Amino acid sequence: MDASHSAPIDERLQDERFGKATGGKVGMWIFIAQDGMAFGGLLLAYALLRIFSADWPVPADILGIGLTATATFILICSSVTMVMAVDASQHSQKGRTAFWLSGTILGGLLFLGIQVYEYTHLSHAGITLATSSFEFTEGVVTNVNDLFGSTFYVVTGFHGMHVTAGVIYLICILIGTLKGKYTKGGNSASPVELVGLFWHFVDLVWILVFTFIYLL
Amino acid sequence: MSADAHDSHDAEPGHGPTKATFVTVFLVLTFLTVVEVMVPQVYSAEWNKNTKMILLVTLAVGKAILVASYFMHLKWEARWIRWIAAMPVYMGLFAILLMCEQAWRNGIS
Repeated sequence: MDASHSAPIDERLQDERFGKATGGKVGMWIFIAQDGMAFGGLLLAYALLRIFSADWPVPADILGIGLTATATFILICSSVTMVMAVDASQHSQKGRTAFWLSGTILGGLLFLGIQVYEYTHLSHAGITLATSSFEFTEGVVTNVNDLFGSTFYVVTGFHGMHVTAGVIYLICILIGTLKGKYTKGGNSASPVELVGLFWHFVDLVWILVFTFIYLL
Repeated sequence: MSADAHDSHDAEPGHGPTKATFVTVFLVLTFLTVVEVMVPQVYSAEWNKNTKMILLVTLAVGKAILVASYFMHLKWEARWIRWIAAMPVYMGLFAILLMCEQAWRNGIS
């Protein structure tokens, strides 16, 4: 007997009127919505602090746009590998699911590597969580608004923690896939779809963070 | 009704995105990212910073909608799930309202 038959709540959620969503999917969407509001609050605070600060630097003068654009591209690529993994698991293809999940994990790790490199470089250049000074021209260190560093690390750090959590989540799902748990057909692919939703959300948030923190 | 019949409707032929759709969205996202990186260089002068801001925000929102619609399958989800997903948008509207109020109090037109 299939697990969904012994779970009446899932049967109700699979009703056409409810869009065939599983309980896990509804839960993940509610989590994403509230997490989106948490990011929204941070970005709103950043916007207000920046608007009302006179000595806010142009981010592109301090932050490496080329490197971050590469990280953005890597995250977009990892979203594609993620949809391929979901597709493979829904077609009960264990090997392909594991392959695309591994690609997604690699993308996440590359993104985190770039972020660690960026943090190390910036902290050595004088941009820290509490103070912000930067050598715009050789030998001349200029103090900029301290909130620049604070908001930068808080917003990108909060996102980085989500990427870290996503990579750990993906590794757990990859282990389950290798054991054959998510490619049995039916609703067994649901956990891969859920980790996919979380991963795409992390990608979506980065698109906004990249624009607001780095480009504007 | 068996559980197999309940399998995600996205996987059914003709009821969801195909691999070609994903590749197309990926290419569009990559192209828009390249445009985004070029915008601050083209509109770097102080006098056209508003144009830069409008262009960048439009591009970012467009990319976010593409990811949500296609990669997160919202385009094919039931309306009530889309309403849940739109919750942060209500917050965004509230933020705009607050900023307008703040601008009005400070006499900024």
